[in-house]
Amino acid sequence: MFTGGSRGRALLLALSVLFAGCGQRPDSAGPITLVFKHAKILGPSDPVPALLREFERRHPGVRVQAESLSWNSDDQHQFFVINLEGRGAGFDVMMLDVIWVAEFARAGWLLDLTPWVPAEELAPHFPSTIEPATWNGRVWAMPWLMNVGVLYYRTDLLAKYRLHPPRTWEALVDQIVRIRTAERNPRLDGVVWQGRQYEGLTVNALEAIWANGARVFGTDGVVFPEEERAAGGLSLLRALIVSGVSPSWVTAADEELTRRHFGDGRAVFLRNWPYAMDLFQTANSPVRGRVGIAPLPGRVGGAATAASSGGAHLGVNRRTRHPELAAALVRFMAGGEAQKAMALGGALNPTRMALYHDRDVVRAHPDFPAVHDLMLRARPRPVTPAYLMLSSTLQPEFSAALVGVKSPRQAIEHARLRVGYLLQGLR
Amino acid sequence: MTGRERDDARAGRLMLAPALIALAVLAAWPGLWVLWLSLQRRIPVFGIERFVGPSHYAFLAVDPRFWNAVQVTLIFTFISVALEFLLGIGVALALQGQQRGRRTAVALLLLPWALPSVVTGRMFEWLYHPSAGLLNFLLGGQAINWLGEPMLALPALIVADVWRTMPFVALLCYARVLTIAPDIYEAARVDGAGAVATVRDITLPLLRRVLMIALLFRTLDALRAFDLMFVLTGGGPANATETLTVYAYRSLFQTLQLGFGAAIGVVVFALVMLVAWGYLRAMAHQEEAPA
Amino acid sequence: MSARSAVRDALTLAALALWAAPFFWQALTSIKPDVALSAVERLLAAPPTLDHYRAVVQKSIMPAALANSLGVAALTTLLAIVLGTPGAYALARLPVRGKQLLLLGVVACTAFPQVTIVGPLFVLMRALDLRDTWLALVLADTSFALPLVLWLLAGFVREVPVAVEEAAQIDGAGRLTALTRVVLPLVAPGIASAGLLVFLMSWNELLFAYTFTATEASRTVPVALALFPGVYEVPWGDIAAASMLASLPPILIVAGLQRWLVRGLTAGALRE
Repeated sequence: MFTGGSRGRALLLALSVLFAGCGQRPDSAGPITLVFKHAKILGPSDPVPALLREFERRHPGVRVQAESLSWNSDDQHQFFVINLEGRGAGFDVMMLDVIWVAEFARAGWLLDLTPWVPAEELAPHFPSTIEPATWNGRVWAMPWLMNVGVLYYRTDLLAKYRLHPPRTWEALVDQIVRIRTAERNPRLDGVVWQGRQYEGLTVNALEAIWANGARVFGTDGVVFPEEERAAGGLSLLRALIVSGVSPSWVTAADEELTRRHFGDGRAVFLRNWPYAMDLFQTANSPVRGRVGIAPLPGRVGGAATAASSGGAHLGVNRRTRHPELAAALVRFMAGGEAQKAMALGGALNPTRMALYHDRDVVRAHPDFPAVHDLMLRARPRPVTPAYLMLSSTLQPEFSAALVGVKSPRQAIEHARLRVGYLLQGLR
Repeated sequence: MTGRERDDARAGRLMLAPALIALAVLAAWPGLWVLWLSLQRRIPVFGIERFVGPSHYAFLAVDPRFWNAVQVTLIFTFISVALEFLLGIGVALALQGQQRGRRTAVALLLLPWALPSVVTGRMFEWLYHPSAGLLNFLLGGQAINWLGEPMLALPALIVADVWRTMPFVALLCYARVLTIAPDIYEAARVDGAGAVATVRDITLPLLRRVLMIALLFRTLDALRAFDLMFVLTGGGPANATETLTVYAYRSLFQTLQLGFGAAIGVVVFALVMLVAWGYLRAMAHQEEAPA
Repeated sequence: MSARSAVRDALTLAALALWAAPFFWQALTSIKPDVALSAVERLLAAPPTLDHYRAVVQKSIMPAALANSLGVAALTTLLAIVLGTPGAYALARLPVRGKQLLLLGVVACTAFPQVTIVGPLFVLMRALDLRDTWLALVLADTSFALPLVLWLLAGFVREVPVAVEEAAQIDGAGRLTALTRVVLPLVAPGIASAGLLVFLMSWNELLFAYTFTATEASRTVPVALALFPGVYEVPWGDIAAASMLASLPPILIVAGLQRWLVRGLTAGALRE
């Protein structure tokens, strides 16, 4: 039994010796191993492993080890911050949310890809994906997956009342009132969108603010230069809730919650990303064959349309031991062949424009040509290393305006003050 | 018997040493790092790294978002812990009197604790869902916006937290109650004491020490509450559920203001230590006072 | 056994079952198709299916994750109890100097929020080259578990009257024998409950497990569950099935430990 501390210490030592070998360790001698960190891709089949094997085939002596990331964007960011700040070169290629590229580049965590990526190689991708990939005139990541805010609508309901997808928010509200009054279904909501206090809220709020003709940054770096119009964008969203056109719980909703609601036939309109379309068309979906995609509405006197872009890029860890191979992997995964395989395999949108009119791809995703046009008009969120700081400061203000704790005007004013203070001295 | 006492003291040090060494290496070093970090302005994205002394603390002192977080943290802690304890003690007492099905009862009790906490958050998100959630269904189909309404969000989180942690308290009290000899209750019954008097005069005083310790650790946990808020509401709506740790997380991993986030962490640390010191004082008083 | 106590027992069981209702709801979700999730009536009406369990078992990460979790949690519990019991005894009984300060210091070790110390801990684990090992998680979890064990067991030890120990010592036993032969059996329920709490704490621990492991082979259950969803879609039914499977080991352990917990009642009753 115990004879005091010394035995205990011996036990500990024995345990640590015993279990020190209980983990995986990368093989230092032998083939070169590249570690590729990405979030898992759900869909009929995951196309990534096959692509990685193909890459290995083309580069004998190289092994690519794929490691999963959490699906949650915050978790991913946290993981990268801890590893990259703590200088753990445990991975070579990483999947990055578009909004992080400038931040990671400025922090010196990304390998400058300009020497390896000629300008022509970026051209086939959507312009709104190239903007976040470059910063300060250099290329830091390659576009891989793309997202754009779209308006889903119930084709059957609109057809029944001989309506076309609304071009403005005013028209949208009118249509909802018409349809709901006629349908007399208390369980049918108007439009659902993402209003919980997270990045999705920034996306939705910016889309409303842009639709109203306002910008986030002025040319001289002033925040919300068109204060009235910016507040007007928030007022629009608040009015949707107050008037009942949107159910009050959108203030706690994210993409999945709203997607399910609409997919259950409980709403006329939905603002979401393109991934949902495939899910609406599955065999046992209640809205199968009755969903259409349209551009997000603009506003009378504002912009014609305003949709945010999103998606993922591929970057290389600056501390990688195999920069050339890692860059090659990035270029391969962002290339035409790989992106086509991914478009066919999963519910994902590639960033190469030509694929949206490719015959095989369109057969698998008939809505792609329509989505292509939407993506041409997508706007990236402000591309700045301070984007997360910005968004994190804006979210509580936007949320306050949505739930009525502050007036939209106050929210914009406070947002301006706080962001101004935060960004002073940071370039 | 000072020789004996010296031996005892030495034995005591030897017995404590392994635990203290483990803690020193694993916990003290990160703690000191955080303290040091809180005195710097460290924003790796912009390559800023310089010593600024107590400047972050000065900012926090006048930061309304910080004080909101303090308020949320304290309200959450106070109500959550109070509910856990009232319910936990009640359950332990009920189990004490349980004659049949005791094992089933304890197994049922620990189910909330057995469910992986990673899932609990998301599960409550569905339970609280305004249209598809079980809670609103049971309430007759009202679309109450539990997580999206500033006044309702924190209570909803408190309920979720108490659901998970009440078993902790109940189990500890139950374990203690098991070691109470039945003769005492016999004697009390012979003396004609009723159920309430028995609980009040016998069980509760005997439970006191365990209760104080459980109270301390539960308070400490509640002061550092993070997971539920972050998963269910992201600290919203309008920061209505943003506790200090959520604010620290956002500063550390979202805005990457490492020094600032560390400073908030130190404030939590200070709060926790204040509470711990208060408990130690209270417990010391209990020891001195005649039983 | 009177009818009244039978009713009381039944009521307690019912109340506890009601409290655990969310758990049973999760179990229900695990056997119904995802499509039916959006409305309670639909969920209740839908025909049960084993698809989710099939998917989870086939994904084959769960068995490995269960093994990792079991190993890490068991070792953490072992380490915390082994280190903590003598320490708790010393704190409770022996004239160690600066006890108040030590107690405060012990609490201070868990006083920082996890999210603030995960960064420096990561750097430490990397420096010790412990990434992706069980040891990293065991050490990290123990640092959080040990203070609780020390305080709890010290409390339980203090409940043992000094007279009982002194009686043993008069019979010629040394401090250690007094500890092991006399005190330990009396605080057995305390050790069991402390051990159980540490086990569950380690079993549920996510942040460190996610940060310190990289490869699939070293994932624990919470990490596997967190990694279940894909880029956009959250497979609710699969997650529910996986969490039911993940709840089994703790439930089985509790069921097994019960006998030990109850035995403390019959053996060695204390004279208060």
